[in-house]
Amino acid sequence: MLREHDPERDIVRYSLADRVAHWWVSLTFIYLLLSGLALGYPRMAWLYQILGGGQTVRFLHPWVGVAFTLGIFYMLFAWVRDMTFDPVDREWARSLGTYSKEGHVDLDVGRYNAGQKGYYWFAVLTGVLLLLTGIPIWIPSLLSSGWNQAARIIHHVLFLLTVGGFIIHVYMSTAMFPGTIRGMTTGRVERRWAAFHHPRWFRDRDARGTRLG
Amino acid sequence: MATELGLAVRRKSATPTSSTSIRRDSIEVSKLVDIDLCIGCKACEIACKEWNDLEVEETHNFGGYQSHEDLTPDTWDLMRFNEVDLEDGGIAWLIRKDSCLHCEEPGCLLACPAPGAIVQYENGIVDFDQEKCIGCQYCIAGCPFDIPRFDTETKKVYKCTLCVDRVSNALEPACVKACPTGSIRFGTKEAMQEYGKEKVGKLQDRGFEDALLYDPEGVKGLHMMYVVPRGEMLEEYGLPKDPTVTSKLGFFPAMGALRKLGSGAMWAGLLGSALFFLRTGRRFPPPEEEAVAAARSKGSEAPGERTDAATRHDADDSLDPGSEGDGHA
Ligand code: HEM
Ligand code: SF4
Repeated sequence: MLREHDPERDIVRYSLADRVAHWWVSLTFIYLLLSGLALGYPRMAWLYQILGGGQTVRFLHPWVGVAFTLGIFYMLFAWVRDMTFDPVDREWARSLGTYSKEGHVDLDVGRYNAGQKGYYWFAVLTGVLLLLTGIPIWIPSLLSSGWNQAARIIHHVLFLLTVGGFIIHVYMSTAMFPGTIRGMTTGRVERRWAAFHHPRWFRDRDARGTRLG
Repeated sequence: MATELGLAVRRKSATPTSSTSIRRDSIEVSKLVDIDLCIGCKACEIACKEWNDLEVEETHNFGGYQSHEDLTPDTWDLMRFNEVDLEDGGIAWLIRKDSCLHCEEPGCLLACPAPGAIVQYENGIVDFDQEKCIGCQYCIAGCPFDIPRFDTETKKVYKCTLCVDRVSNALEPACVKACPTGSIRFGTKEAMQEYGKEKVGKLQDRGFEDALLYDPEGVKGLHMMYVVPRGEMLEEYGLPKDPTVTSKLGFFPAMGALRKLGSGAMWAGLLGSALFFLRTGRRFPPPEEEAVAAARSKGSEAPGERTDAATRHDADDSLDPGSEGDGHA
């Protein structure tokens, strides 16, 4: 993707399992997003037609939600070691203004920056809460109708939050930062990308010689 | 049922542009149950089953006159018999025909996410179109009177249609026709209200001071009203005192506001990202030598600071030369 690069020297960023889990989560999320829009927004009811009809949507949405949350759990356990916050993250968070303007801050960032870590914890938290509030909507006899409606409202609020996070996440990992998506597709990133975005992680990987070739 | 009947439609569920109202002469209909005249014979229950061809369910004695404990997908009309001890030592035997009240502002319709699964006709009848129902049961949570019932086999919801098929052919509903005492009445909403008010006056004259016509404001009125002699005992009858479609956590206003906010925010997010992209474009890293040199110099600047979890984890991996880290696909 970046010009003049030599795939032989790429650095490994995601294992096959990581990538499968990530695309599992994103595909199930996209299904949930579209079916959720159909269920929640009358003007988007045409989406039922491309998703197999209303009854199919009503049947599948909860199950896909379970599948989504399972993927989230994989991410939680597989990635948590890299997602704990450290002092660099505090500095990074303080420079958020610069980051959003320049697309970069000159800090010794590790495998993930504080924004990515934040998104990870946000995805885990909302993922679990979406499942928890989804269950009473799925099986209405579990709760009284007042609580069912409360669950629907909270579920909807969580949905909006995740859509916001999703738009930002997809934008940053595709349009904004060239070379990022390769990590999630091929599993490898260019040295240039790694050294620039994640210098501390790059040094470590570089020293260990985890290049392919 | 729905639109094959050729009735004018006031609104349909999950259909923002559903009204076909243009006729000048649309007449609103209503049933009225004069509880004073009801003898609890259950003829209406049977008539309902017969006309709608609903499966007969086995009854069992659970200590009263009531034939079934509750409404079911096959029982749209149920006579409820409630015995209440009075303070003066007497007993009140409260008999009420329980079936859909056809709210003017129907909570079920507002809650339903399936286009056209719930229809409100211009004449006030609220009807389910099971063909379009997706079985989510939101309508059950939306109903202030606990009327719709979910059928686990068809995965659809059912309730009284106010015999819309009869009414649209100028026949009175089956329960009305069967009632031997004239307790269940049918006519225009206006005529029924008139009857109700007059009857309430008579009851008050007879000493039922709290007698009332049950046509609550919270749902903008009903198309199946009750004349209740003991108005002070509404709750004992199983009728909510002040039912509203909004009573449950302000659900419908909250949901409507959320939808507006949500669609606004989603569009703003999409358009905002597009605009942001046009303004700032893509962020390429510097050429490799430069990026790598910068990364290396960061390492030498602060040699003591490499103790965070991420680095430790990577270092652990590197102890195992065979694994090539966690990234070997
Ligand atoms: C089609 C939509 C998506 C695309 C194109 C996409 C792309 C990416 C890419 C390229 C990365 C790697 C970032 C890096 O290497 O630093 C990544 C990481 C990640 N993705 Fe996604 N993703 C999508 C959907 C999702 C969804 C729906 C979720 C969760 C709800 C999610 C959660 C994450 C998390 C937690 C990470 C690690 C932290 C981060 O990089 O922000 N992704 N994604
Ligand atoms: S169960 Fe059917 S009628 Fe009731 S809200 Fe859901 S789709 Fe509408």
